[in-house]
Amino acid sequence: MKRAWIVSTIVWYEMLRRKDIYVLFIMLAALLVVMIALDVFGLGQVTGYVKDIGLLAAWLLGWILAISTSIRQLPQEETRGTIFPLLAKPVTRWELIVGKWLGVWVVVLTAVLMFYLTIWGVVVLKGGAFNPLTLLQAYVLHAIALAVLVAIGIALSTRLNADAAAATAYVLTGAAFALAPRIPVLLAVTPGFRGMLLTGLYYLLPHFELFDLRRRLVHDWGSAGGVAMAGVILYGVLLALGFLLLAWIGYRRKRFSRGDLL
Amino acid sequence: MQPAIDLRGLSVTFPTPSGPVHALRDVTLSIEPGTVFGFLGPNGAGKTTTIHTLLGFLEPTAGQAFVFGQESTATIARERIGYLAENPDTYTFLTGRELLTLTGKLFLLGPAVIRERADRLLDDTALTGAADRRIAGYSRGMRQRICLAQSLMNDPDLLILDEPTGGMDPLGRMEIRRLITARKAAGKTVFFSSHELSEVELVCDRVGIVAGGRLVAEGATADLVKPGQSLERYFVDLVTAAAARTEGVP
Repeated sequence: MKRAWIVSTIVWYEMLRRKDIYVLFIMLAALLVVMIALDVFGLGQVTGYVKDIGLLAAWLLGWILAISTSIRQLPQEETRGTIFPLLAKPVTRWELIVGKWLGVWVVVLTAVLMFYLTIWGVVVLKGGAFNPLTLLQAYVLHAIALAVLVAIGIALSTRLNADAAAATAYVLTGAAFALAPRIPVLLAVTPGFRGMLLTGLYYLLPHFELFDLRRRLVHDWGSAGGVAMAGVILYGVLLALGFLLLAWIGYRRKRFSRGDLL
Repeated sequence: MQPAIDLRGLSVTFPTPSGPVHALRDVTLSIEPGTVFGFLGPNGAGKTTTIHTLLGFLEPTAGQAFVFGQESTATIARERIGYLAENPDTYTFLTGRELLTLTGKLFLLGPAVIRERADRLLDDTALTGAADRRIAGYSRGMRQRICLAQSLMNDPDLLILDEPTGGMDPLGRMEIRRLITARKAAGKTVFFSSHELSEVELVCDRVGIVAGGRLVAEGATADLVKPGQSLERYFVDLVTAAAARTEGVP
């Protein structure tokens, strides 16, 4: 797997030098300036409000960054033709998939860490505090959720072009974020076949809500239990691995179509 | 000794909406180590398909392809191959030196070997002065040279060049000829796909001519071409005849 690590370093070079990641930092900085300056309904000094908005922004920006960067990795290797010299080296397609996933994940993780540190700084500036253990747990689970999101983006991009993969990934993960936690409530009022469909959907969709500890942080509910943490981490690791396997299945025999292969 | 390249009844068929396209049909070819082999054919003849099969990008529909005794789809086969693609492109956000270093790492070479080879190849390709500049700022010729340097980072036993002189100026072509001669002197094998028959005539020990997916001629240039006849004349006659024969064959 050493070669997967080397492939990931190519991703880091590109993302740092393309500078699009810096746009997100500028957006975050702008948001935080607004958070510090605004005093909506006199809530400006309530740190829970700052935590809530800041963490929501970190989740949204992490989601956008994870999908938008993961879905373009493989298609752009093909369209610019760099896939040929890369795979002409002793790099397996599994190593390529894992390398791309690892590269994007590490960059997104670093960006999200910056977001968390910035939010923490603003909260402290406003006279508030975070429970350090809960903050660490929130970041770890957020990191696992990002691993799953990046794996979904990579898996979709093995068979779709970058635009189609992006649209599908945003719809799929957006639906999972918004719909999956509400399915048990909907089931209570949806009998019969539609109820069965909903149940199927409940088990099919990734449950990103399990990785979201924002309310614990905002309302100071304290840290999560060790067994629950371990269970959610295991669930996330299995999900990410499952999507990476799907990516490999989609990519292992793929023919590349830059120009005429004949 | 194992042949550098051994194709046994190799066929590749692409399914398309308008029916299967037979890119290669029953190609059998063996190339001994140390040979400079010219692989000729008109556009769409199957040259790039053959190369992509050798590199494991494509799996044969029938037959087998071996590189130094290893099946071409095996990763280990690519440890001894260097490859320069037609119209090569690379990671333009890297510097020339970074590209060669990362390439060396992908071959799991040690840091000292990587440094020594990168310096030597940058020097050989006249890119030492631009080594720490991003490739995005390189001219087309410089990009071709850094891609060539990249294909040599593992000191390959088999160098596969797919139309390497396309779009090159006379100096660039001379550089490629010099490189091929140097590889041959070092006992390495070069598989050289080209339209440039004069280049092939100058540097190759043997040639293979492919038309319509079939290998229609193979042998030493001197044996194939009659005295007083040019390789170009021989090639045109052969390809025209092959096209007439295969017309109507599905």
